[in-house]
Amino acid sequence: MIVYECCGIESVTKKVYCSSCGKEITNEYDVPEVGTVYSFTVIQVPPTQFAHLAPYTVALVQLNNTKAKLTARIVDQVNIGDEVKLEKIVDGAYVFKKSEVLHNS
Amino acid sequence: MTAPVYIHGIGMTKFGSFEDKTLKDLLIEASKEAIKDAGVSKIDAVFVGNFMGGSLANQEILGAIVANDLGLGYIPTAKLEGACASGGIALRQGVLSIMSGEYETVLIVGAEKMKHASTSTVTQVINTAMDQSTNEKEAGLTFPGYFGTVANRYFYETGASKEHLAKVALKNRENAMNNPYAQFQKPTTIDEILNARMVTDPLGLFDCSPITDGGAAVVLSSKPSNIKVRASAQASGPTLMQDADDLLSLPAVRVSGEKAYEKAGLGPEDIDVVEIHDCFSMTEILSSEELGFFPKLQGWQGVNEGKTRVDGEIPINTSGGLLSKGHPIGATGIAQIYQLVRQLRGNAPNQLTKQPKIALAQNLGGTGAYSVVHILERV
Ligand SMILES: [Zn+2]
Repeated sequence: MIVYECCGIESVTKKVYCSSCGKEITNEYDVPEVGTVYSFTVIQVPPTQFAHLAPYTVALVQLNNTKAKLTARIVDQVNIGDEVKLEKIVDGAYVFKKSEVLHNS
Repeated sequence: MTAPVYIHGIGMTKFGSFEDKTLKDLLIEASKEAIKDAGVSKIDAVFVGNFMGGSLANQEILGAIVANDLGLGYIPTAKLEGACASGGIALRQGVLSIMSGEYETVLIVGAEKMKHASTSTVTQVINTAMDQSTNEKEAGLTFPGYFGTVANRYFYETGASKEHLAKVALKNRENAMNNPYAQFQKPTTIDEILNARMVTDPLGLFDCSPITDGGAAVVLSSKPSNIKVRASAQASGPTLMQDADDLLSLPAVRVSGEKAYEKAGLGPEDIDVVEIHDCFSMTEILSSEELGFFPKLQGWQGVNEGKTRVDGEIPINTSGGLLSKGHPIGATGIAQIYQLVRQLRGNAPNQLTKQPKIALAQNLGGTGAYSVVHILERV
């Protein structure tokens, strides 16, 4: 996925200006959709839109090879530090699963 | 040259569930009480704090409605929206309007009408306080889910646990038990809090502020009173969790606090009593660190040692906080001022034994997207 960078600040969200130097952000590069769980929560009380999924896990994933983090839905039960990778993109949501689950299957 | 700003009157409705009251009723009830308390006859402008009047109560033009129904004449009014910081932002606009010399006396009123809607509808509408055009929203992150994610990382890095969050919830409930305006006055226990239904792991029902109806109002003037607004400051922060530079920080709270201290020429050590925006138990701890009352990642120890209790070194949320007093969104930032003014006047619920002189209110909007800090002084 695309990561945007300026002055060492890296984000998966594209911003117009760099909050550090004030210049337009032009650097972007591709990183693999692989990382570790930085933190997570299990949502028991969902908004109307996601009521059919509850309970479901959402995690902040620290992507590999970048400082950027990504908010993703996780299909497995996870803990901080677990390795995860992209399984699919559904309606604009990144859906990740545990890396070892892939190895075993 | 800027004009000084003083607080002349305060008013609030009881917080809770009021099936028979409209959003307008709540705004007018709180306003009438504040105007009566101030003893003024002329208001020059009105600033309203409200978040979901359009989507939940099907009502906008709240500023003009307040001016019209109170019969204040053809004066300028506006509604300010900044999610849960709507009230604090409305207050700040009132402060700035007096400082500029444009008005002498203004009314600030905030209210929210929420209890008639279902929890899933309210959750959906509250989610508009996060950036709705991104992958983060599509992942299904909720507003409480953000602070649940924060809490799990906080536990991981500090050694804090769910029990420390429960101690925040218990303290605020014990404070609310003495506040007749509070939504929840029933006693509870650590066990009940720890065993309550989970909302978003690790946050349970008692860790989350409730859905509430209510209103609160303040009358400000450049004419002297015995309560002066020493500082008003505001800052913005990330609108997405994945943009947070440090998940365990709330930069908007830190910056708004630093600016307020600088304007007032004061520091955290000078503050006698505090209302912090405890939308979640986790948020009270995090913001108590960002405002300088505890070192980073040590706020949970302060709670554990009882330092934030009414009889502690730095009493936080003597009103019962959002967690137990209730959180009618647009009213919240103004209701914080209501409690602090009563502390400074010496007649608050949970009045501090030594009557405080300096008070601080911090009002948060979104997942750290807005923060407003006001510092008040008894003069
Ligand atoms: Zn730059």
